[in-house]
Amino acid sequence: MAARARAGLVYGVGALRAAARGDRVVWALHRAALAEGIVPVVPAPVVFEGFRTEARADRLQALLAGTEVEALTAEGARRAGDLAARADTADLAAVAVAEAADRRNGAVVGSRQNALRTAAVLLGHELVLHAV
Amino acid sequence: MVTKRSVSLADEVARAVEAAAREDGVSFSAWLSTAAERQLRIRQGLRGVAQWEAEAGALTAEEIAAGEALLARLLSGVTGMASRVRRR
Repeated sequence: MAARARAGLVYGVGALRAAARGDRVVWALHRAALAEGIVPVVPAPVVFEGFRTEARADRLQALLAGTEVEALTAEGARRAGDLAARADTADLAAVAVAEAADRRNGAVVGSRQNALRTAAVLLGHELVLHAV
Repeated sequence: MVTKRSVSLADEVARAVEAAAREDGVSFSAWLSTAAERQLRIRQGLRGVAQWEAEAGALTAEEIAAGEALLARLLSGVTGMASRVRRR
């Protein structure tokens, strides 16, 4: 089956962690996206988790300056909660990433997580992932 | 809050914006505002990259090329077997 082209990028917690530790591949990818006019999307729960776990808030801030942080609406929260229940996970950030990738036809930059994989399968979404 | 500004656009740009706004179901002003917001975000984002580079060292030409190649691969929907999760 031919690969389906993606419209943009969705960053998971892994992308934020990689940026915070100075992963040069992630910064180069981020630069390339912006230079192409692509603004990566970051679901709000990912931002929450990134700032909760990373000390380099300045680097997170520098990365997020060039992203669209997707706010969690009531409807979005309901969808994510329902999906998390079906995926049997409490990892709302991973579920939110899978949901955003499906809805926005985005490729994901993040960690290779079971929760992400399971949520994508439940959505019938073929995940395109750059694992960091 | 909304600020009114009078702007001049080339005829063909104005026609293209009108068509795009109609297609997206938003007003001419809303479409232009979203486009401007996007450009500002890209500008801020590139400043963020420069801020990181000032601390960590500038990306080399090879690293930039590798980033562009990775982006192209991700957007094409192919990431290679190692990082692609297939639907069961």
